[in-house]
Amino acid sequence: MAYADSPENAIAVIKQRTALMNRCLSQHKLMESLQHTSIMLTELRNPNLSPKKYYELYVIIFDSLTNLSTYLIENHPQNHHLADLYELVQYTGNVVPRLYLMITVGTSYLTFSDAPKKEILKDMIEMCRGVQNPIRGLFLRYYLSQRTKELLPEDDPSFNSQFIMNNFIEMNKLWVRLQHQGPLRERETRTRERKELQILVGSQLVRLSQIIDDNFQMYRQDILPTILEQVIQCRDLVSQEYLLDVICQVFTDEFHLKTLDTLLQTTLHLNPDVSINKIVLTLVDRLNDYVTRQLEEEPNTTSSNAYLDMDVFGTFWDYLTLLNNERPDLSLQQFIPLVESVIVLSLKWYPNNFENLNKLFELVLQKTKDFGQKNISLESEHLFLVLLSFQSSKLQLTSPSAASPSPRITSKKYFIFQLISQCQAYKNILALQSISLQKKVVIEILDILMDEENEESAENEPESKLHPPGHSTPLVIEDKLQVQRLLSICEPLIISRSRSTMNAASSEANIDEVFFNRHDEEESWILDPIQEKLAHLIHWLMGTISRKQTSKNISQFSLEAQLEILLLIKSSFIKGGINVKYTFPAIITNFWKLVRKCRMIQEYLLKKRPDNKTLLSHYSNLLKQMFKFVSRCINDIFNSCNNSCTDLILKLNLQCATLADQLQLNEISYDFFSQAFTIFEESLSDSKTQLQALIYMAQSLQKTRSLYKETYYDSLIVRCTLHGSKLLKKQDQCRAVYLCSHLWWATEISNIGEEEGVTDNFYRDGKRVLECLQRSLRVADSIMDNEQSCELMVEILNRCLYYFIHGDEAETHISIKYINGLIELIKTNLKSLKLEENSTSMITNSIDDLHITGDNNVKANTNIDDGSINTDKDTNVAIGSDGTYIQLNTLNGSSTLIHGIVTTASGSKLLHQLKYIPIYHFQRTCEYIESQREVDDRFKVIYV
Amino acid sequence: MSIFFKSPIDIEILFDNEESRKHVDVATRTSNSSYKSMKESLPVYEDGESLGGIVTLRVRDGKKVEHLGIKVSVIGSIDMIKSHSSGTSSTKKATSSTSSTSSNVSADVRKNSVDQFLCQSYDLCSAGELQHSQSFPFLFRDLSKRYESYKGRNVDVAYFVKVTVMRKSTDISKVKRFWVYLYNSITTAPNTLSANEIQSNPKDIKSESNTADNANQNKSIKGAQGGAADGNQVLPISHSGNEPKPVRLDIGIENCLHIEFEYAKPQYSLKEVIVGRIYFLLTRLRIKHMELSLITRESSGLQTSNVMTDSTAIRYEIMDGSSVKGETIPIRLFLSGYDLTPNMSCNYFNVKNYLSLVIIDEDGRRYFKQSEITLYRTR
Repeated sequence: MAYADSPENAIAVIKQRTALMNRCLSQHKLMESLQHTSIMLTELRNPNLSPKKYYELYVIIFDSLTNLSTYLIENHPQNHHLADLYELVQYTGNVVPRLYLMITVGTSYLTFSDAPKKEILKDMIEMCRGVQNPIRGLFLRYYLSQRTKELLPEDDPSFNSQFIMNNFIEMNKLWVRLQHQGPLRERETRTRERKELQILVGSQLVRLSQIIDDNFQMYRQDILPTILEQVIQCRDLVSQEYLLDVICQVFTDEFHLKTLDTLLQTTLHLNPDVSINKIVLTLVDRLNDYVTRQLEEEPNTTSSNAYLDMDVFGTFWDYLTLLNNERPDLSLQQFIPLVESVIVLSLKWYPNNFENLNKLFELVLQKTKDFGQKNISLESEHLFLVLLSFQSSKLQLTSPSAASPSPRITSKKYFIFQLISQCQAYKNILALQSISLQKKVVIEILDILMDEENEESAENEPESKLHPPGHSTPLVIEDKLQVQRLLSICEPLIISRSRSTMNAASSEANIDEVFFNRHDEEESWILDPIQEKLAHLIHWLMGTISRKQTSKNISQFSLEAQLEILLLIKSSFIKGGINVKYTFPAIITNFWKLVRKCRMIQEYLLKKRPDNKTLLSHYSNLLKQMFKFVSRCINDIFNSCNNSCTDLILKLNLQCATLADQLQLNEISYDFFSQAFTIFEESLSDSKTQLQALIYMAQSLQKTRSLYKETYYDSLIVRCTLHGSKLLKKQDQCRAVYLCSHLWWATEISNIGEEEGVTDNFYRDGKRVLECLQRSLRVADSIMDNEQSCELMVEILNRCLYYFIHGDEAETHISIKYINGLIELIKTNLKSLKLEENSTSMITNSIDDLHITGDNNVKANTNIDDGSINTDKDTNVAIGSDGTYIQLNTLNGSSTLIHGIVTTASGSKLLHQLKYIPIYHFQRTCEYIESQREVDDRFKVIYV
Repeated sequence: MSIFFKSPIDIEILFDNEESRKHVDVATRTSNSSYKSMKESLPVYEDGESLGGIVTLRVRDGKKVEHLGIKVSVIGSIDMIKSHSSGTSSTKKATSSTSSTSSNVSADVRKNSVDQFLCQSYDLCSAGELQHSQSFPFLFRDLSKRYESYKGRNVDVAYFVKVTVMRKSTDISKVKRFWVYLYNSITTAPNTLSANEIQSNPKDIKSESNTADNANQNKSIKGAQGGAADGNQVLPISHSGNEPKPVRLDIGIENCLHIEFEYAKPQYSLKEVIVGRIYFLLTRLRIKHMELSLITRESSGLQTSNVMTDSTAIRYEIMDGSSVKGETIPIRLFLSGYDLTPNMSCNYFNVKNYLSLVIIDEDGRRYFKQSEITLYRTR
């Protein structure tokens, strides 16, 4: 009999024959319908079908045969006897249709209780051997399995299991054989086809697991050994991988648990190409799920820990060592995931046993060393990354569920922290990796550790309230050692940069490059995310340490201990060389925090136990000590960074000084100020920075209160003003000096209880103020650039007005006369500015307006509304406090710095507008004066 | 049949209980080959069975018919295609004498009788005149039938009853065929087959008892067994009391295929099932499928001009796809459903059966191995 040439035709034939078959059946013409069935089944002989197409045909035919089977069952034994039919269908000439018919009739017969069930089953499965073609054979046996599903004898499980296993074994053989058929170049196709067919084979194991129920004895003694034997014997990659996976999936966890040895042993005998780790991972998943389920079912963990009696880890451990011995060829790529899965297991089963982890890491370490660390390829590097930074998705560490046996394990964060502090081997492995990898891993770890959101959510979890308070604290650092370990882990990050340059320096060939690198590093202030992270780490560490412990059993760190840890951090970060400029500010900040805390303790003691002198003196010593550390830190930065960050050092010094001043430690404060001045004098060379530094210093100084004694303040402010007047640029000088004038005019700091008008001991010296202003006015006057000069004068005028408002004339020596004179001077200068430029009538107009009707507010306003100026308004120009021009974009409010004097063609238009800066500034000042007249009578005598 | 000369007498032969007898369908080959598939149903008789019936003679149109006597005879003959038997003049005469009836007697006109091994006759009535229809019972008591009926390509073994109304002019005769089955007993008789390769050990023949193994065979044969000893059927070798020894054949193509072909025994009754297996020791052949066929070989004629004809009686696929080393393929072939010919042997022809294992590889090449088996008829 022939089969159709295409799958479409085949389907058509099948449908047609099915219809005929059904018609014959309805007319009780059994023989004819069997004929049609046989012809229909001939389509399944077609060797040219792909597994998918074959399956399509199979499905249709299966349905048809179900019809037939129903008929056979309904009409037995009135119209026929199925035993006879069973013989009859065996006359079918072709083996495939014959067997399908046999199975159909045979299974129909099985539904009757008087049928010799076992004999029929045995016969059917035996005869199935006639089909040796893999695809056809697989489907045939699958058909057998499907048909017999409900019909196996109920009373004999061992027969049933033998039956299914027999079928399974034969199917597996066929399946494996498929790989070796056809030409070599179609190997890939074969493998793909096999993957498509795998479910047929796997279904047998599923069946097996269904009938086996909970009969462990049978499973252990008969089924598992047979199956595993089969798996090993077939020596086929696809088969072994798939079948072991299925075995792990379909049988119950309890079985796996009890036969763990056997399963693991099996993997030792597999085809060397089989990726053992997948199988082990599946197994581990199952076991972990099992634990989870157990815990969910039995929340009271103490009672149902029978499963924990087994040394699961021990089994896996023995297995790993054995594997390592027997398969030294196993590459790291395979070995690492394996270990990783065991880690996952260990974490689930023994969440608090870090010794296990240490063991595992040691094994990896050993293995890595065996292979030679130089040979770590890129792929395995990735694996290491995953392993060491616990990126694996399987690693579900967040198990703070109600049933968790270990309330201590609250998060991945906690876990990693424990890991770092307890597993020496982990660190060793890390040290074996390349620097870049180490960095990646450490960054990963730090990210986890400092993940704020996690922490928040852990704390906010409603559940956590039900638990002992210790549970809700996300992470607890218990002792110094842990910090030390953590820091040693971070070492690659800390010293990363300098190390790389050292490496480069070792090769002499590119010494130039090294030079440039060093140069770059010193100069660049590009934000380094790694170093930023480290700085974050410092804060995080100190924050964690100083966090209030609600739990009783964990003692809070004392101030001294915190200091000790901070010093530890410092000593570890100093290895970073040039990087300290990123990290030390964080350390210093933490020192400041400690200083504040120390002070608080001191004040507390003073209040409660003022008699305890020794304790008080201890704390005051501690304070001083800490300032010394800070000073040391600053020096360290200075020493390792040379000139690249003097600005930073200056600021740090000034902040320290301010802090010390606030704590009434005038000696220390002075010392820091003098340090700052030293830096200023010795290292600051850039004029812009100098001005900035001076402004900053002046600001700091103006707020100090403790330095008045021993004329520290006096000498410092004089020095400051002096430096100001010695600046390179005249405008800078001018500005510095008029700013310094404030140093002689202390203002209230409400925080420490000062109040204008109430406190009478402000450090004020009006004469000096006036001197400063006069000096700056002289400088302003002598500036050649007219615009600059005018602008500065307006600025000075503003200062004068400030003092005029805030102090009596007697005190400040800023008289109305002086102000009027200044205004006059500015007007004159502006006039000369106008003379310079007479090409544009518009400007003349505006200046005329200013000159003639300077007090006429309304007119000035109409001029502005004139519209002629509007064009200029679009791009307004202003001048900054340090003398830089700023282009104000009125449209979007953003501002652009114009560097230096604009000389370019595009700037020539701007150049015109520069003139308006002092003009407008003066206008605004005048308006201010006029508006002040309403509240302050004194202003009425100021003529504008 | 003569169309123009209507015979004046209608002769009808009816066997006793003919309707209720077992019948067998025999394909008739008429002269027109297009009627090839026509089937004739014949009653079955066995050796030693009496053959009786009634002959009814009807006179047409009330005419009187004179005759010289009415004779009934039972004839068994071996017919062969002319060309093979042309050498013998004696047979020629015989053929010519029956030529007028041959169209009725044998289905194949090409075949001529070469041997009448059975010819019994007696007169039903003496010479006289038939005036009206008249019936005559006839009976051949305990008729011995040496050969089993057979219809082959070149040879037929035919049995018939012939009623002849002898007249002065042409005799009027009527023939009625019947079919003969010889049921064999395996307990009796040495076999006539000498060429059988698969001889079993003579030691096994210890006869006398009927143990459970072949109980049903023994039983069935004992009841009706008469003188089938010298029939044309080849008798199976007796294995009474012992398991039949399985036949095992090693088949192979060097470095390419090596299989073991095994079946339960060398002789099978036609109702039995051939059970066996094929064990693969080596396969480098890419087998497409494997068939088991049963070939019936008829060899006819005398030694000098022997003609052999093979016909495939069964074709049965036993394996689909290619097997591998270590696989066993089961064989189970029910014989009863097929129309098979048991082994036969006589002077003029013999019929042998062969099991043939055919392997077809993917390139369409066929490899086969034949092995003779003996088939015999049991009740």
